[in-house]
Amino acid sequence: MQASRRRFLKTSAAATAASFAATPLLAAPGKKYRTAIIGAGWWGMNILRDAMAHGQCKVVGICDVSEQTREVSAEEITDLNGDQPRKYNDFREMLGKEKPEIVIIATPDHWHALPAIAAIEAGSHVFLEKPTAHTVEESRAILNAARAAKRVVQVGLHRRIGPHHVEAMKFLKSGKVGKVGQVRLFVTGGGGKEEPTPNSPAPVGLDWDLWCGPAPKRPFNRRLHPGGWRHFLDYANGTLGDWGVHWLDQITWWSDEKFPKRVFSSGGRPVRGTAVNDGEAMTSDTPDSQVAIYDYEDFTVTWEHRRFAMNATEHHRYGAYFYGTEGILHIGWRDGWTFYPAKKNGMKAHGDPRFDNERDGHNLPPLWADFMKAIADPKHTPAADIEPAHRSSVLPMLGMISYRLGRSLQWDGDKEQILNDQEANQLLRRDYRNPWVYPKV
Amino acid sequence: MITRKLLPLLLAPLWLTAEEWPHFRGPQYDGISREKNWQTDWPETGPKRLWEAQVGIGFSSMAVAKGRLYTLGHNEGADTLYCLDAKTGRKQWSYSWLSNIGAKFYIGGPGSTPTVADGRVYVAGKWGEVSCLVPHPKNAGEVQVLWARHLAKEDQVRVPTWGFNGSPLVLGDRLLINAGSAGVALDLKTGKTLWKSPDGEAGYATPQPVMLGGQPHVIVSSGRAYSAVKVADGQEAWSLRWFTRYGVNAADAIVDGDQVFVGSGYRKGCGLYKIGAELTEVWKNKNLSTQMNAAVKIGDHLYGFDGDSGGPGKLRCVSWKTGEVVWEHATGFGALTAADDRLIVLTGTGALMTAPATPKGFKPSGRTRVLDKDCWTAPVLANGLLYCRNSKGHLVCLDLRRGQ
Repeated sequence: MQASRRRFLKTSAAATAASFAATPLLAAPGKKYRTAIIGAGWWGMNILRDAMAHGQCKVVGICDVSEQTREVSAEEITDLNGDQPRKYNDFREMLGKEKPEIVIIATPDHWHALPAIAAIEAGSHVFLEKPTAHTVEESRAILNAARAAKRVVQVGLHRRIGPHHVEAMKFLKSGKVGKVGQVRLFVTGGGGKEEPTPNSPAPVGLDWDLWCGPAPKRPFNRRLHPGGWRHFLDYANGTLGDWGVHWLDQITWWSDEKFPKRVFSSGGRPVRGTAVNDGEAMTSDTPDSQVAIYDYEDFTVTWEHRRFAMNATEHHRYGAYFYGTEGILHIGWRDGWTFYPAKKNGMKAHGDPRFDNERDGHNLPPLWADFMKAIADPKHTPAADIEPAHRSSVLPMLGMISYRLGRSLQWDGDKEQILNDQEANQLLRRDYRNPWVYPKV
Repeated sequence: MITRKLLPLLLAPLWLTAEEWPHFRGPQYDGISREKNWQTDWPETGPKRLWEAQVGIGFSSMAVAKGRLYTLGHNEGADTLYCLDAKTGRKQWSYSWLSNIGAKFYIGGPGSTPTVADGRVYVAGKWGEVSCLVPHPKNAGEVQVLWARHLAKEDQVRVPTWGFNGSPLVLGDRLLINAGSAGVALDLKTGKTLWKSPDGEAGYATPQPVMLGGQPHVIVSSGRAYSAVKVADGQEAWSLRWFTRYGVNAADAIVDGDQVFVGSGYRKGCGLYKIGAELTEVWKNKNLSTQMNAAVKIGDHLYGFDGDSGGPGKLRCVSWKTGEVVWEHATGFGALTAADDRLIVLTGTGALMTAPATPKGFKPSGRTRVLDKDCWTAPVLANGLLYCRNSKGHLVCLDLRRGQ
């Protein structure tokens, strides 16, 4: 413990020094914010570790519906910097008792809106994991609450601040790619048929009813928790809502057009097989193969996702191709960014990625530093502010509505309504399970 | 208080020779073979490949007894116990049962290793199916089920997230399984449940035998503790609170004298504790987070893998007395065994190395690539033959006999 503690203090001191150099903080030096986390699993702890390393957090509360997760994460926090957060099962109790100044939310998508709005209304600034919510009106309600209470809400879209994305976006906006008419976003992977997994009793110490919360209550199944919920439509929006939002956000970041006019998506489960949920066993139910088309005024965006076959015919497995008159710009993940010129004698350009966390390949530390800067300086707009993050997060939700209904949607992004389609509009929200109440817009 | 020396008398049936490896972690339950005089300087091309086999998806290690090798694997909706000739790899018999592959953030398949005792083979299945088998006395290639018991269905024992992965332990007249909060004991002859621990999620380690106060006990991991319970009645002697992310306490406890070492992955770390009426901490740190396979203790040092599968794992030598890292080697994640004061290391991507087990450093005298990824199963040395497998069930036998 001594050795690792010393190492940690050294690196965190270095990190703090670096962030001071990069972004002068207006708050009193040494100011520690009372920080709490809701959803303290793998990704939540990734955020919290970087937040702690930044040096301005005192972790006062940790909330998770799994006792296992609470205990493990609380112990890790104490090991890291000596903080002794109190442990909570219910976020409402934690917000009431701890009065945190900052709340990190890293729960499954169906559990974003209520805790985020409650935290904002209790006066906290919020670091909210992406996508902003599960349904469109939840996301809008978070945005409205943030603006009404004048709280900072930074969304975990770290690809807005990751160095190779910033570099590539600069290149794209410099005009070197020319006039862009089409963008292709894609994620490919491997996989095969999915066998149903038998339902089983919920693990000891897991509050399964609260885990399901406002969403439909399914029987417990080990495919759902820990970690598998992204591929169940009751709780999330599949790969489009996970990976898709990162890449769609690159469009929001790049374009002056605020939203697409038309959305269509199709796909299915040709590889994973028919979804099962028969009371005895279940499989996931999100598509393993999906395409979505987003029609903007000046360009068309396609999204494609395959859960098999990889992508051996191309250089890249993930990312965005911006097709311009001067060439193709690829913005990727571990493969950085690359420009392929249209002209034979054109100059190829490339930038390697620079991750703050190599293993998980992300840039949370600068996103956190930017969040802290926005809290200290009301004039600083956070890099992944809730407003553009809301518009980006809505895109996968619209894609999934089209996928479910099997028809294209005319989107009025100003009114946030689907035109001439009552059934589709009803899917912008959903009924919550008692006693939870869907947030008011 | 603890008489480790008495254990072999209690545990090892007399017909076993030191070269056998009849169950997980070997005759002394410590991952170390007493075998000497095996080839340690390998040619460029690696040791001779004697045979190869396909044994199905999974992480079951190999048990070797009386010229037979036993391991488990999953194929198309069924788990299979394979019995192969240890020298030729020729299939002797197999026994299958319907089973879910249990893939979740990994390929899935069975994770326990069969246990051989008195000519009987004991198998702990992933979802609670425990069985005792013998080859048919007359009909070659046939197998008899002496008894079978389903812990989840018959004893209502809770199945943990990744199923049961600890191997069965034969101790006197009973079979100990890591199930429930601190184990289940079955009658070795009938499979009848003699006692079961209170409701809880089992960990993924194999029960580790230890004498406490002159009484045989086992150290069993759950998702939240390592506990010592009496073999006779399951009564708890002590329990070490040990919460690990996802409840993955998978590495077996290591006992030496009146001290016990435990380590888990997911940044949990490790600790050494003195055993008394209660456990007292000697040291605790993050230096040896053994995610799946336990370390081996040789002399005053532990040798094992720190870190999680898929991450930047390291082979480390850690001082037993102080917990300090003596050396580390950037191998990535892997598993190891030891024999004659040497380490036999299989990295996650299939590189096999052998080097003296010494705090002076890691200097392999032989290295070769034996398998494709993922290799999370420790290699097994028995009678001069080394067995390595990967998660897809590719099993390789290397000839390390001298003068071959």
